Amino acid sequence: MDLDALKANLKKDFQEIVSQDELNQLKVKYLGKKGRITELSKNIKNLPSEERPIFGKKIGELRSLYEDLLNSVQEKIELQIINESLEKDRIDVTLPGSFKSQGKLHPLTITTKKITDFFSSKGYLIEDGPEIESDYYNFDALNIPKDHPARDMHDTFYLDNGNLLRTHTSPVQIRSIEKRGAPLKIICPGKVYRSDADKTHTPMFHQIEGLVIDENINFGHLKNEIMTFIDFFFGLDTKVRFRPSYFPFTEPSAEVDILDKKSKNWLEIMGCGLVHPNVIDMAGLNPKKFSGFAFGMGIERMAKLSYEIEDMRSLFSNDIKFLSQ
Amino acid sequence: MKVLYSRITNAIKAKPKIESLCEDLTLIGIEVDEIKSLQRDKIIDFDLTPNRGDCFSVKGLARDYCAFKDKKFSSVTKSFFKGETKFNKKIKLLAKEACPAYSAVSISNLKLKKKFPYYIKKTLKAAGIQSIHPLVDIVNFVMLESGQPMHVFDQDKIEGDIEVRFAKTKEQIKILGEKNLKLTKDCLVIADEKQPIAFAGISGGLNHSVSKKTQNFLIESAFFRPNIIKGKARRYGFQTDASQRFERGVDFNLHEDALKEALSIIQEIYWVDISNIETIKNKYFPKKKLINISTEDVNLKLGTDLGENKIKSILKRLEIKLIKKNKNNLTFEVPSHRFDLSIKEDLIEEVARIVGYDNLPQIKNDPITQHYEKSDYDFINQIKTFMTNKGFNEVINYSFLDRQALENLDIENKSISLKNPLNNSLNTLRTSLLPSLAENLEFNINRGQNFLSIFEMGKSFSNDSHMEELNLAGLIYDDEKFKNWNTNQNYDFYYLKGILENLFAEFRIEKIFWKKSQNDLLHPYASADIYLKNELIGSVGSINPRFIKLLGLNKAFLYFEIKVESLPRNDLGKLIAPSIYPISQRDFSFEIDNKVSYEQIENCIYISSKNFLISTKIFDVYDGKNISDGKKSIAFRVSWGSNKKTLSDEDINKEANLIISGMQKKLGAILR
Repeated sequence: MDLDALKANLKKDFQEIVSQDELNQLKVKYLGKKGRITELSKNIKNLPSEERPIFGKKIGELRSLYEDLLNSVQEKIELQIINESLEKDRIDVTLPGSFKSQGKLHPLTITTKKITDFFSSKGYLIEDGPEIESDYYNFDALNIPKDHPARDMHDTFYLDNGNLLRTHTSPVQIRSIEKRGAPLKIICPGKVYRSDADKTHTPMFHQIEGLVIDENINFGHLKNEIMTFIDFFFGLDTKVRFRPSYFPFTEPSAEVDILDKKSKNWLEIMGCGLVHPNVIDMAGLNPKKFSGFAFGMGIERMAKLSYEIEDMRSLFSNDIKFLSQ
Repeated sequence: MKVLYSRITNAIKAKPKIESLCEDLTLIGIEVDEIKSLQRDKIIDFDLTPNRGDCFSVKGLARDYCAFKDKKFSSVTKSFFKGETKFNKKIKLLAKEACPAYSAVSISNLKLKKKFPYYIKKTLKAAGIQSIHPLVDIVNFVMLESGQPMHVFDQDKIEGDIEVRFAKTKEQIKILGEKNLKLTKDCLVIADEKQPIAFAGISGGLNHSVSKKTQNFLIESAFFRPNIIKGKARRYGFQTDASQRFERGVDFNLHEDALKEALSIIQEIYWVDISNIETIKNKYFPKKKLINISTEDVNLKLGTDLGENKIKSILKRLEIKLIKKNKNNLTFEVPSHRFDLSIKEDLIEEVARIVGYDNLPQIKNDPITQHYEKSDYDFINQIKTFMTNKGFNEVINYSFLDRQALENLDIENKSISLKNPLNNSLNTLRTSLLPSLAENLEFNINRGQNFLSIFEMGKSFSNDSHMEELNLAGLIYDDEKFKNWNTNQNYDFYYLKGILENLFAEFRIEKIFWKKSQNDLLHPYASADIYLKNELIGSVGSINPRFIKLLGLNKAFLYFEIKVESLPRNDLGKLIAPSIYPISQRDFSFEIDNKVSYEQIENCIYISSKNFLISTKIFDVYDGKNISDGKKSIAFRVSWGSNKKTLSDEDINKEANLIISGMQKKLGAILR
């Protein structure tokens, strides 16, 4: 058989191949011990020596043609095999995935984090203090001496070991000033306790308190900080009002209200003021040199406004249907 | 404090709409709690702050309102009164400082001249004050109007002269409302020759009070120093209209005028004989306070740019008068009704109030340079987020619970109780988070849940040196008969332990050891105590079956509780480049006594193969078929490597033989 005919046959054979078996047979047919290309190349020794290189070259071409065809067909067949097996792997993608329960943070944790993230980013240190407090830190050091009518505002839980459950996070102000001195910029979230329970009060709730102490702090600084925070938390178009109030540990003191867009009512969201000089003095700083502002808010109230919670007590019922939302 | 709208409009001599009146009062710090209707009038319930004793009356409110609106206000009611008979008792002020001024008057032969005015009754009703006797009603009305509490005695029951003094040892008084009070030496009383007839500034005595039969009356109007009255009524668990006013401070120039006002109303309504007003005053009578301040002081605190004249005129509206000026230093005199003003900052607040807080500027803060450190709060939040990612929902429970709940679990030892709990189910601080989480479980099971995985980060309390400790507790309960089609998660001890191991790995906490638990709350053979080095930091395991019923449950749950404060805060340290040489591994299977723990086996491996060992991993524990009784089969893979060379077969064989002989000698294990 001449070379050209062999070449044509080779191409034709490869075109007809559909399986790996057939491909293996072709290998025997052309390159086996008695394969056609093998046989043909044996003829080379019968040729005159001047023709040998040309013939050799042609045989080489034939072999490389064989290789090329083999590679392309091999690839085609492998793809075909994969495609055929894929069908067997068919699944129902609408069945639910393997169960892995995913937990949720408590709404109060999320709200606290939203607030602390804001103040953290403004350089406030996050501070914490004990929930069991002494009369001194909860009242005296905050300019609320014994028998002060302001103690009535705090329905205090007293403990059998002579201490009390803190009624506000404000004791942390004193502890932080004592620990860190001034200047100081802190935010303290935490649990507080008051003997009060109805739809809007729970005997345990959460507060977050901010304190800034430096030289020459004024009421304008306080207003600016609060306004920036309200813009962040409630949105830029929130209407805000500041009104005078009374806390023994601040002077002047203020309450901050925001206007509820739906009900058109003013909602009280936080108390604040310039730190009372007695408090700065009691904490061990010179009130002539240092001044400061403080603000505090109830986290439940902030969560209530954020998530439109009707009954404050649902935050502590720990119903998994409520919490896993 | 409940006040009639009509009384306020009467006092301010104008009739603003109730909404705008309330809004204005709110803007100067007088908060309105509620508005209710009473016939054609309104009752406004004010939530007064304790500093503003001066607003504890219709006139007080009106005075502040007029100052804000820059309207003229006159608090003096022109009362034309002249006594006709002689007051014939002696008044002795023995507690000179506590009561530096006292007025009294005698009234007799009361005969109705005209119908008792309805507006008085309505005013009292609105304020929630019971009508007792016409004269008492009149003095109470004047109190509501002016702020001066007064008291009416049945004069015939008073024996001899009147003294104002501190209570003697073991003295008692039965007050209105039939309460018998054992007085202490710091209680101020009004007394006759025999006994106390009133708890001064707080309540009259029942035995000397007026009734329908009373013929002769004695009305008292006095000034009592606030710090003497403060807290006294509260000590006995009550409060009165008088005590609330006196402890905040009643205008020290008011007691005579208020008495005259009451007498002129009495004369209007009755034909009556009234004595002259007997007034005793001593040298302790208060003087008006002086406060020094400069314009700069005000502007520095408010961030404003107010001129001296502006400040002066604002304070003048509040009856705070400039009495001296020395260059920049202004000396102001505080009016007798403002007990809350004593330092500069108090005057600054007054200026701010009248200017309006909303009109004060907003000023950008200067940055503060302070040492910034990573807070514990971040660590706590990271743990919480870790727990949610492991499938736990966060719960938050009250710190207090029923002591019985602790007793049921034998964990009431060293617990701290509340002296004044809201109710008995909240009377003791929890010593562990377990009762709270178990209660959450019961609650949710009752609401149809049969799977629960929750955690709490909260404090536990005990009468130790620390008193409070922050704990992390978690609970898993699984009673699902039909699992998700493709899931067969087994929630057992090892599941929860695995989560804790992940937690420790996540926060790079090493040197954790697990020992058979001594915690009585947990199953004695299927739970572990967790140690960090030598410190017990928590426990994990199945609840002890003996508590299941007590907790209102039918099935056990898995639980852990660890001390968060004991966990080290390990930041990512130096990173080590992994070795470029390959790791070699061999698998072993031993038959070994059932009581030998994995910890012993692991230790034995580490002690036996000292060179190149990187890790061991247990992949099978088996004690069934083909294993002798009391034995188990364990299979593990050991990995070796070096960062200096590729280990040869000889190296590995040597180490493997050391493990085999070590296991045999130390633990009697036989290679299978």
